[in-house]
Amino acid sequence: MPSSICWKCLSTTLTQPLRHGSIKPRIPIYLPTLAFSTTPSFQLPLPAKKSSGVKVTPKKGTKSLVIKKGKFQAENRARRPAPGERKALRKRIVLSNVNALEVQGMQNIEVENMSDQRVEGQVLRLPGPIVDQLRAVEAFKPTQSWGLFQSPGTLMRRETVDMGKLIADMSGEEGGSRRTVKMVLVGEKGSGKSMMLLQAMTMAFLKGWTVINLPEAQDITIGHTSYQPLPSSPPSYIQPAYLTNLLRNLPTANPHLESLQFSQPTSSDLPIPIPPNISLARLASLGASDPEIAYPIFNLLITELLSPGRPPVFLGLDGLAHAMQDGTGYTAPNLKPIHPYQLMILEWYFKFLAGRRRLPNGGIVMAATSQSNAPKVPSLDLALSKLEGSVVTRAGQTVPQKERNPFMRYDERVMDTLKPGRGIQVQRLPGLSKEEARGLMEYWAKSGMVRERVSEGLVAEKWAVSGGGVVGELERAVIRMRV
Amino acid sequence: MFHIPPPINGPRRHPYPRFCNSQTPNMVFILGLNFPESRLVKSALSSFYGIGPRHTQRLMSKLYIHDTARVGSLADKQVLDLTAELSNMTIENDLRRKLQDNIRRLRDMGAYRGRRHAMQMPVRGQRTRTQTATAGKLNRVERFG
Repeated sequence: MPSSICWKCLSTTLTQPLRHGSIKPRIPIYLPTLAFSTTPSFQLPLPAKKSSGVKVTPKKGTKSLVIKKGKFQAENRARRPAPGERKALRKRIVLSNVNALEVQGMQNIEVENMSDQRVEGQVLRLPGPIVDQLRAVEAFKPTQSWGLFQSPGTLMRRETVDMGKLIADMSGEEGGSRRTVKMVLVGEKGSGKSMMLLQAMTMAFLKGWTVINLPEAQDITIGHTSYQPLPSSPPSYIQPAYLTNLLRNLPTANPHLESLQFSQPTSSDLPIPIPPNISLARLASLGASDPEIAYPIFNLLITELLSPGRPPVFLGLDGLAHAMQDGTGYTAPNLKPIHPYQLMILEWYFKFLAGRRRLPNGGIVMAATSQSNAPKVPSLDLALSKLEGSVVTRAGQTVPQKERNPFMRYDERVMDTLKPGRGIQVQRLPGLSKEEARGLMEYWAKSGMVRERVSEGLVAEKWAVSGGGVVGELERAVIRMRV
Repeated sequence: MFHIPPPINGPRRHPYPRFCNSQTPNMVFILGLNFPESRLVKSALSSFYGIGPRHTQRLMSKLYIHDTARVGSLADKQVLDLTAELSNMTIENDLRRKLQDNIRRLRDMGAYRGRRHAMQMPVRGQRTRTQTATAGKLNRVERFG
């Protein structure tokens, strides 16, 4: 039955204030303000256009912009990643995982146990402050599986303990400690070369050494940072942005630079006045503040670090082949590619590796080759083979030393740097022994990454599957591959 | 005592290239044209008529600009040098004028190529029974570019 009162009148009386109080509605009436509909607003038909009398045609010669809105455009409303966001995600380094089980009774790597024969085959935890320092020298790689474990730990293999002994020996007060050890790490893919570099840096940090690391030679030679020439002949080039970054990370990586004082008399040919008696950490930050002064400050800092009474120095470089290849991504004004040896930072490093410059307070110059992302450099292969001699594999096969191919052109600069007689050791990292493999697999099992019981049989099987204990392959076989 | 690099790079605007997402990005002036700071120098240079990959590489090598440099990361000196280099080259309208002059010269001397240009027909002996659309579109005495 229709209401006796007109709806429209009621609505006006309810919404407008009453003029006189005699008429009051007794029943509250709820008025719908909008029609309820399940149709989404964008599917509603467009409102009919009001037809205006005069049709306006566009002026002759003018184009009206028409943007077609396709189906894809309407649906794809997700935010696009900001520039650099995807790369940051790709290069992200996760060092702990709260879901992994905590390994009970795991020891920290310390000065006391780093050269101890008894920790051989055990996985030791990297202490927190050292982790920060290693992060600053970019020792961790995104491809390493730190993110599967509660806290970062590393296997003390035989070579690691030997390295620990060497570093402990060189840190002592004896006369023999002031030598410069030059070393190139070789080995097949996944044999732990970058990890060895990390372990050596860890132990150098523990002993209070100054560590300067060039984490990826590819970043230097690929031609993605700014460069400018130095007035030298043959021309040499500096990379201000790279140097700035290196200087910025130095004080974080080496906290002892805070306590070392800048001792040289201030030279007048420096671009900025340097206050006397500032700490070396402050000096490095000064250089990091402006790419223009990074190079002179870097030189000054190195002179300071090599002056008498300073701690030993560790110089690291990963991805040696990139630093010794034929050319770089940079070009000289004559459009010829610049040779890596013309880049000041690599030239500087190779002077120490070749022994043309010494580390007066002792130290280690260590370069790691890479097998996964390396250009083919025949000169490097030949030079390393000549240094190493013939190799006996674990299976008992003898790989003879390489000979010079008369039809190949070799880079004499590379051959000269790695010439026999310069005292460069080539350290080959073989596969793990079964005991080391067992220790590593037990650590994985304790972290909850292995479901089976770690028995003699399982270790033997996985050791064989991984090509005789190649640690990267072992990891792939045990914790990466789930059947 | 130390080699101080020559002042190729003057004071920088930003130590690192800045990526602008805002509506009004900071612009850099090269040869009277504005480029957003986030644009690659390589791309900015080759956007000029008459400058291709080869000239781009030559200019960038000459001024020590690396391949992935953004316009915003250039020093003021480098921007000025680039502008100076570009203003000495025959590019943009000068190059277009040169092209038109060449065609006009051919037409005025009554050469076959000049006549064919004027007739908007293929110039180099292509068939004309079919497929002359490109010639019809481009070949003319007042050719744009």
